[in-house]
Amino acid sequence: MSEARNNVPLFLMGGIMIIYALIVNTGVLLPLMKSIGTHKSVDLQVTMCFIVGILGILTGIVNSIRKPQNTVLDRFFLQPMAGVLLLLSLAMLVRWYVEPWVIIGSKALKPIIGFGIYKVLNLNYVVLGLLVGVIITNTVGIPKFAASGVKTARFVLKMGVILLGARYSFAELAKLGVYSIWLVGGFVMGTVFLVLWLGNMFKQPKSMTGVLSAGMGVCGVSATVAVAPVVRAKSEEMAYTIGTILSFGIICMFVFPTVGKLVGMNPTQFGAWAGTGILNSAQVAAAALAFNAVDIATLKVAEIFNITRVLFLPIIVLVLATWFGKETGQKLNFKTVVIDKFPIFILGFLLLFLMSSMGLFSPPDHYKGKYIDFSYNDRTRITDQEWATLNDALDTGAIMGADATQMAALEDLRKQHQIAGNFDDRNNKAVFDKVGRDRMTALESILAQLKAKKIEMSKEVKGVVDHALKQVHKKSKTIVTLTDCMIWFFAFGLIGLGMQITKKAMAQAGGWPLVIGLISGVTKAVLSFFVVLWFVKEVTLK
Amino acid sequence: MFHHILLCTHGTPGARQAETLVFEKLLPASPEARITVLTVFNEDWDVMTGDDWLNTSTTRNTFRSHVETQLARETEAHWETIRERYPAASRHRFMHVFGPVEATFAEVAHKRQCDLVVIGAWQKKMAKGFKHRVSPAKLHPILTIPLMIAP
Repeated sequence: MSEARNNVPLFLMGGIMIIYALIVNTGVLLPLMKSIGTHKSVDLQVTMCFIVGILGILTGIVNSIRKPQNTVLDRFFLQPMAGVLLLLSLAMLVRWYVEPWVIIGSKALKPIIGFGIYKVLNLNYVVLGLLVGVIITNTVGIPKFAASGVKTARFVLKMGVILLGARYSFAELAKLGVYSIWLVGGFVMGTVFLVLWLGNMFKQPKSMTGVLSAGMGVCGVSATVAVAPVVRAKSEEMAYTIGTILSFGIICMFVFPTVGKLVGMNPTQFGAWAGTGILNSAQVAAAALAFNAVDIATLKVAEIFNITRVLFLPIIVLVLATWFGKETGQKLNFKTVVIDKFPIFILGFLLLFLMSSMGLFSPPDHYKGKYIDFSYNDRTRITDQEWATLNDALDTGAIMGADATQMAALEDLRKQHQIAGNFDDRNNKAVFDKVGRDRMTALESILAQLKAKKIEMSKEVKGVVDHALKQVHKKSKTIVTLTDCMIWFFAFGLIGLGMQITKKAMAQAGGWPLVIGLISGVTKAVLSFFVVLWFVKEVTLK
Repeated sequence: MFHHILLCTHGTPGARQAETLVFEKLLPASPEARITVLTVFNEDWDVMTGDDWLNTSTTRNTFRSHVETQLARETEAHWETIRERYPAASRHRFMHVFGPVEATFAEVAHKRQCDLVVIGAWQKKMAKGFKHRVSPAKLHPILTIPLMIAP
């Protein structure tokens, strides 16, 4: 009986989810969902809530009739389930209700305060989720029943990165890899040496500058945790460093996306800047999704930078251990210093990338740079209704401001019902694809100019162009499913990580680490901003 | 006057005032009194890995173990300073406990049957060391014996 009582939160959350799924299934909530724009996710809401709710209740029953043991099943599934359910409920709540209401509220407030809070602070479901986590842990605290489940956030986030591996092509990975190695390599080493130099100038202990240089240079708290034992950092030095990094990171998470949008960075540039300038890797992911949570282009770039930073970690640990060892006579243990620090999840990421590249999830040439399908097939055609809309618009001259190339692309879309090359060139694939790509570019420029109000056309015609463009981008169902899972993993993981950011930890910011940290952190953020703007060009990401 | 004094210190300027008060004023006034010098390892160290998610559990465990060793080492050094500064302190008990600060004060005071708890005044802002201020609102309801705060 007492076991059942311990599982009340599981039964409660599971029950609420099932009841919610039943209510949504009846259609009662549809008007509300339409008003906040979440009606398209109605099937997903029902399915997810049913599955998660039933899983929760089943786990509660198993936990009630079976004594807890120290098995893998207990440690990794039965015990954390209540916390997992809590994080999932929060992720759903934020994505389906909090974010839409924040947008509505923000729009309502805009005439009064003059700007949209939602846009300025990039309050999408990812940032809101992280904030919800931070608020919970700093007010009511993490409920006891959820403690072990919240810890799964780290694992789930790693799973998200592993799944992301399926979304890269060789071309993208090669191009982004080169950027990231140069930028991360330059800024990691630069910041590490800047901090060591500043520490020397301000006559600070080597243990302090060692731990701070790793934190500021590589990947924030993760690097601090990895390096502190190696340089034998004192408690106060660790506390100051971690507090400084956490506080600086939270500020960056809000400032970076806003600045990136203000200066009109493209996804590659922003991902590169966030991946280089933001200290904590979790906050890099959050900032990338804050910049653009609709498609994952920015996240793809940022995560490559994150992975490069993590790969640099064992190298930096080795450098600092050697540097510190020389001073103290401490002997190096290669296994402890390097092997134990190797991030194993990156192997998973590479595995998914290879599996995807070999065509296990989609035809093999999908993600090898040939993202666009201009061939004649039914799949890439616009619908008859869309064709009629376009036909009317072109006949009545309802599209104004488009230049000759753009009009020609629209005329060809009317003629061929799809974006493609010329029929006569169909046997010459290179020419056929080039013409198709030019037409696609012209249609993309129509949408861009429409946004800038240089072209006038109805919403319906815009929808036709939009759909035609989407049709030629290949997407396999497996890849779409993996991507959806990945987005949920990130949302879940970031809420859980938000719960690890306490004001007590941030309040530890202080002393010389705060001074040196601010100098080096701001220098790195500003310098990387200009370097990225000047040198990083857009990489086609689909 | 007092039989068993619980001196709570972790070496900050305020806590050192409490040490002086106990060993230079209270102990000479009650030479037979026992003193327990308590250092609490703040439970907030548990959250000091922040939002680290990249490291393996081995690396995180190594960090935890390093923090524990380091705190123990620093505490031992601090106690040694107390023993040097106040030779009478060598006769008394020193102990450290990991946990929530206020609750640990009350628990140790109860277990060791102390009749007075002495702590230092609040740290100044930006003072050195792990930042934590004893919350009177948390401490007073659970402390059943007098509390003295060294000015």
